[in-house]
Amino acid sequence: MATEEKYDQETINSKLMIDHDYDGIKELDNPPPPWLMLIFYGTIIWSVFYLFYYHVFDGPTQEDEYNTEMAEAKANMPKNVFDENNIVLLSDAASLAEGEKLFASKACDACHGATNIGPNLTDEYWIHGNKVGEVFKVIKYGVAEKGMTPFKGQMTDKQIQQVTSYILVKMKGAATANTKGPQGDKYE
Amino acid sequence: MEQQTFYYDNKIVRMFGGATILWGIVGVLVGLTIATQLAFPDANFSLPWLTFGRLRPLHTNAIIFAFVGNGIFTAAYYSMQRLLKTRMYSDLLGRFHFWGWQLIIVAAAITLPLGFSEAKEYAELEWPIDIAVVIVWIAFGWNMLGTIAIRRTRHIYVAIWFFISTFITIAVLYLVNNLSLPVSLWKSYSVYAGVQDGLVQWWYGHNAVAFFLTTPMLGLMYYFLPKAANRPVYSYKLSIIHFWALIFLYIWAGPHHLLYQALPGWAQSMGVVFSVMLLMPSWGGMVNGLLTLRGAWDRVRDSAVLKFFVVGVTAYGMSTFEGPLLSIKSVNAISHFTDWTIAHVHIGGMGWNGFMIFGMIYWLWPRIFDTKLKSEKLANAHFWIGTLGIIFYAVPLYWAAITQALMWKEFTPEGFLAYPNFMETVTQILPMYYLRIVGGSLYIIGFLMFIYNIIATARSGKLIANEEASAPALEKMSKKRQAGETPHRWVERRWVPFTIWAFIAIIIGSIIEIVPMLMVKSNVPTISSVTPYTPLELAGRDIYVREGCYTCHSQQIRPFRSETERYGEYSKAGEFVYDHPYQWGSRRMGPDLAREGVKGGKIYKSNAWHYNHMLRPQDVNPESVMPPYPWLISDDLDMDIIPAKIRAMQSLGVPYPDGYDQKAINEASIQAKALAADLANNNIKVEYNKEIIAMIAYLQRLGVDITKGKTASR
Repeated sequence: MATEEKYDQETINSKLMIDHDYDGIKELDNPPPPWLMLIFYGTIIWSVFYLFYYHVFDGPTQEDEYNTEMAEAKANMPKNVFDENNIVLLSDAASLAEGEKLFASKACDACHGATNIGPNLTDEYWIHGNKVGEVFKVIKYGVAEKGMTPFKGQMTDKQIQQVTSYILVKMKGAATANTKGPQGDKYE
Repeated sequence: MEQQTFYYDNKIVRMFGGATILWGIVGVLVGLTIATQLAFPDANFSLPWLTFGRLRPLHTNAIIFAFVGNGIFTAAYYSMQRLLKTRMYSDLLGRFHFWGWQLIIVAAAITLPLGFSEAKEYAELEWPIDIAVVIVWIAFGWNMLGTIAIRRTRHIYVAIWFFISTFITIAVLYLVNNLSLPVSLWKSYSVYAGVQDGLVQWWYGHNAVAFFLTTPMLGLMYYFLPKAANRPVYSYKLSIIHFWALIFLYIWAGPHHLLYQALPGWAQSMGVVFSVMLLMPSWGGMVNGLLTLRGAWDRVRDSAVLKFFVVGVTAYGMSTFEGPLLSIKSVNAISHFTDWTIAHVHIGGMGWNGFMIFGMIYWLWPRIFDTKLKSEKLANAHFWIGTLGIIFYAVPLYWAAITQALMWKEFTPEGFLAYPNFMETVTQILPMYYLRIVGGSLYIIGFLMFIYNIIATARSGKLIANEEASAPALEKMSKKRQAGETPHRWVERRWVPFTIWAFIAIIIGSIIEIVPMLMVKSNVPTISSVTPYTPLELAGRDIYVREGCYTCHSQQIRPFRSETERYGEYSKAGEFVYDHPYQWGSRRMGPDLAREGVKGGKIYKSNAWHYNHMLRPQDVNPESVMPPYPWLISDDLDMDIIPAKIRAMQSLGVPYPDGYDQKAINEASIQAKALAADLANNNIKVEYNKEIIAMIAYLQRLGVDITKGKTASR
């Protein structure tokens, strides 16, 4: 304790600023810590380099970065094996179960369920047709003017095929008392 | 030398100190309320004035302007009298300042929940209150500069340099950012639009942090920390360097709030480099504070005041390290729109601002009441529980931020978003929100202990309303520089040049960033298909503004694959030229809405969906944390004000045809009836003159114009 106080007294006496006294607050004549000044100058130099790189030597703009990112993603995209013209209806239990899960997890029932925002999918009336390719197309590309979301960015073609199959095989006749009335044309 | 006797005014210190405590507890309780609402949407109780979007601005404004505001006035009124060896310049101005400021706070506490809002963060107050703020602020500055002018000390201490920079910079920021054109008593439009409004707003918003939450706090630190520790300030030279570097550099850093957004690249780069350069000038304050405690660390163990100061200053160091970090574009690409920002500001708000204020009041209350602190033990307990509160608040939010950002950006091997449903990314982090409530509650428990301790301390003593002091009169001295006097020492004894220099330091960056943004056309490339809102959409937009939708929804798609896959084409500056004010937002509690109206777009929803969603979001999206808005369905839209709104927009340069204001009501009705008819087709019966109709019309317009341009050019 005693040595600590002595040490303090020495540092204070040797470095106190003469005539600096503000309501009893004194100031020491220490230089700013060298590491602090060094990093400060470092950030200034870094900033100059940064500005030169992006604005004098034309470094990539955020649009350039975006285009690069998209091009890379496109190059790595897997190829589709089927589309709405050659899709087939699946009927195996595993696919239909998968379809049912997707129907729930993609929130299809937010509109095609109790809320009745979209048309019901349980009766024989279809606005855009009930062929497997037609339903597939509606799910994949959406129906802009009606507010149907395109799911092509959210499900693979395989998954859309499973949901389509689930709808056409399992949902038929599954109406409840609350289900919305028929819309569209009747298909047998 | 003639010794003069005078009296310090402690009453004004007690007034501001008391107001600090009162508004502080109000502010944190509102904070706890909205934190609870985020985790439990039913806690909005379907009441307009209790809804998150309206209370969030109340929380931020209460903490910044009411709690910290009164705190810095307490610090200034106590320390300046003593540092300048004089009573404040005018008791009357002081009282006017005090009561004016409290009235403004009360007005804010009433108008913000009522939805009177300019919808620019920390600048939400409507124009009549803005005017009051300016008047009261000038009273404060007048009183402060007046006190400096009548001082009995030769030189002005570093604490006061910071107070001077606070006064002049906030005056400039507040005036420029709040320029708006009134439509009615409680409604106005920002004179700036879109990206220009955004730049001005964040020049203001960031520097409100700088010059309201930082510089006056450094002033507080430079007086109260060495006083409480009874140690000399570590380095006078460091004070000089970090003061000037800080105020000069800070003013440029605002654009870092708009990185990877529709802001020109040069402005973004300014935001990046000036934020990075700010690191060490900010740390200069922390270092000077902590090194001042050299030789006093043994006392930190026993003194609650010093403990608060140590953690406060350290929190300052942490958040000023984090600030530059978050301003680096690659980090910002992850952090922006997440809870990282929220955690960051709470390290600053709870740690730096809160703890410095607690420490100051614990120190000065016994002094002005001529007594001892009621319980040092309780103050220590407050310190520990408060520190724990900050940790429990911030750590879960950092966790939540990283989790959500990674979920937003993750792609499956098939090239799809791994979490296309936005709600999945919210549900995932809800447990962190429960923990945040725990952290906030701990902090509030500490706050209540503080209140008890301070009231008990006041009761055990008696206020020395007028504290006697004496000092020799200041002798006249030549304005010229003396032999051996350093240039800085010279300017320290001449407050007018000092103030002018400080003004020059803060105005350079302001002008260089803002003027080209407003004047040079190439900064906002025109998109010809972008047209003004229809009268109904404009009315809907004002509801969006009123409800504070921007507190949870951004309208700004960044140029990343993860965003364009989720929301659609990235946002362009030219799309927002009629947006008075801009509504880009800063946090996504819900999905971005910039392309909400694009039919066939990524997130388009039908009118019927919007209706049901507003009525009860959980019906269409069970996991949603959005509050219900039933009053939009029951309340009539104010059609009569539409012509005045159109005229105001015309004055601001929005190209509605001449005389359009006279046709506006009719056009709004036609559009509203068509929308109501579409809802009727979907079995939803609602009159066309309800607010919900205008709101849906606005949402269905969002982001649409740019796609029209595409079709046309094809």
